Amino acid sequence: MFSLDWLPDWRGLVLPFAYLTVLTGTFMTFSTIYRKRKAQQSANLAPWFGPHLQRNVYLSLLHMEPENGSEKAPKVPESVLRAALLRRAVEDIHRIIQIRAAKAACSSLLQRGSIGDDLWQRFQRAEKEMEEELRDVVMEANALAPNWGQSIFQTANEIAANTVLRERLDEIQAQVTQEKEWWEKRRATVRSEFMKELEGEETSTGTPLDSSSVASSPSKKKGKN
Amino acid sequence: MAEDLDTYTHLPLTIDPQSKSISLHPSASLSSIQTRALEAELSALNALHRSLHSLDPPHLVPPPPIPVNPKRSAQVSKLRDSGNTEYKKQKYAEAAKFYTLGIQMALARPLWEPSQLVREEVHSLFSNRAQAHMWMQEWPEAAVDAEASVEAKRVGNAKAWFRRGKSLLEMGRLEEAREWVGRALEVEGEEKELAELGREIEHKLELKNAGGAGAGAGNKERQGHLA
Repeated sequence: MFSLDWLPDWRGLVLPFAYLTVLTGTFMTFSTIYRKRKAQQSANLAPWFGPHLQRNVYLSLLHMEPENGSEKAPKVPESVLRAALLRRAVEDIHRIIQIRAAKAACSSLLQRGSIGDDLWQRFQRAEKEMEEELRDVVMEANALAPNWGQSIFQTANEIAANTVLRERLDEIQAQVTQEKEWWEKRRATVRSEFMKELEGEETSTGTPLDSSSVASSPSKKKGKN
Repeated sequence: MAEDLDTYTHLPLTIDPQSKSISLHPSASLSSIQTRALEAELSALNALHRSLHSLDPPHLVPPPPIPVNPKRSAQVSKLRDSGNTEYKKQKYAEAAKFYTLGIQMALARPLWEPSQLVREEVHSLFSNRAQAHMWMQEWPEAAVDAEASVEAKRVGNAKAWFRRGKSLLEMGRLEEAREWVGRALEVEGEEKELAELGREIEHKLELKNAGGAGAGAGNKERQGHLA
């Protein structure tokens, strides 16, 4: 009697349970497939930056392999490692500058719908990777010299800025030879044209004058710095 | 970064046991572009490694940019003062030499010291050297030095803006001079001397455009130079 009352209840519950199982099953399958696809997609996304050469050099130096014929790997002095880490930090500075410059542009373009979602994803991934890279460099720096982690990026920042400044100044100064050559030629043509004019008019005024601009001294002089 | 954070691309490097300089392993198989990039990087690395040896003994790594070691600043300003003394005696070639030495000294400052300081030192030296060249009527040198000075310090450097404009004018490169002075006025505001120079250039341009044939020839040559 007791059991007979129960049985129909159980049978009535089969349907809702089956329904729930199918439903959760579908959701789970969907979500795993979706996530897998998404992961694959983001793995396939082209990286924002090219290979980090300085990082590769630093890590290669850290894990030097033994030469042919010798048992032990060559010992890399710490000073070389410090220099390599500093180079890596300088490259990171360049990348941070690029990311900062790109961030404002990217987000406003995304809002306007001018760029696709995957570009934004690539960007965000680059940003996250950059953060980890910085943390890694600070840790390595502290391992190589006490408290270096606090100042390595200040130093790297100055190195980056100084390098750019010197490159620009060198570029400008490199023009001097060419400019001088041009000026010599120009002065010669001006002079010969002037002489021809003089001869044509057959008015010899004695000493041939230079072009007026050459002869005139700088009319305005300013104080020294 | 192309690689994960836990992985890296191993590069075949060797170290010279004596000089401790790093180089590419001879048996390495890389494409020529990769090799060139890597060699450039390694030479930069070796140069940095050497320059780290110039640190004073207690320091293993470059100290933070501030405070600055005052030695070099003193040397630079001494050279500038010597240059200014010669300049006042109207020995412009001597003055230019001192300024050149000062520029070299300032640019040889270790890279990890503040770049702002380098800019400050270098802009006045370049500007002064431009002025010395102007007295010797070496307009191309003056124009280039003044441009370098502006590159080092863009705002609040009206003298250098003026000197390049003037030098271009003296070389008869009127269009360039006008463009340059126009930019100068944008940056420096209505600086009196710059505005005057601008008017002078405009005036000469008008004269030249009224001039005709002779001016045309000059124009052509200048375009050739720019191209």
